Amino acid sequence: MEALNPSNTIKKWVTLYSDKMYSLAFYRTNNKEVAEDLVQDTFITAFQSFEKFKGNIEQPSAWLFTILKNKIADYYRKIYRSPFEKAMNLQKDDNDTLSQYFNKDDEWLGDSLPKDWAIESGHLLDNYDFIDVLNSCMEKLPEKWNAALQLKFIGEKKGNLICQELQITPTNFWQILHRAKLQLRSCLEHNWFKK
Amino acid sequence: MNILMLSCKKASELIEKKSIVQLSRIETIQLHVHKSMCDACNTYEKHSLLIDEVIQQKISNESEKNIPHLRNEPLKQKIKNDL
Repeated sequence: MEALNPSNTIKKWVTLYSDKMYSLAFYRTNNKEVAEDLVQDTFITAFQSFEKFKGNIEQPSAWLFTILKNKIADYYRKIYRSPFEKAMNLQKDDNDTLSQYFNKDDEWLGDSLPKDWAIESGHLLDNYDFIDVLNSCMEKLPEKWNAALQLKFIGEKKGNLICQELQITPTNFWQILHRAKLQLRSCLEHNWFKK
Repeated sequence: MNILMLSCKKASELIEKKSIVQLSRIETIQLHVHKSMCDACNTYEKHSLLIDEVIQQKISNESEKNIPHLRNEPLKQKIKNDL
């Protein structure tokens, strides 16, 4: 049985899996530099943890992708836990956001009133044009809000666990999600459902 | 009774909160009462759930099997050189 040389094995894995991993990282973050860093970090971790790998060295894919997905989640956690000053600005912007959608009596402002979309979710994701609009609406969100959305849907964790991991109060989390959702809904309505 | 009368702003807030944590009993009743009287917030909830469903699917779909394949040769070289 030939001795496992971690470095050679990992290099072989880079050849075989780097493109696929880069593809996933890019589609999850929409940023070339970030995606490249995530892939590189994944291989570094794989190298450092090599003796922990108990699988078949011909089939490391599941292990590598698990590491990558955890790093993607960490990336969004880091964005979410922005520095204190950024958090302060968010407080100031909060009321501006909400006042876009609600009047002084906290009712829907004329233009923002949700209108019937008459659509089922079923076939939306088969439509690449819709995916483009969805992606561009999500990209328009402030970074931290988008990170909150990503964290909500990554993995199947319940809200409480997400908040524990992030060390934030649930209140903070869903308040940000609320603002993100208002903006996202409005963007989708203007750019897709009511065109 | 004012305690039951939510604003639309507050109702939309609770609709989002509900998708993450369980609402308190008061909040559940308040939201129910508001929705029974407000078409706009009912519509908002439908939209909100639809968006959640679509984003969840989008993120789940972006697994290694379903996304288009990008190539990045320079990245491979860089990683191998640095290892």
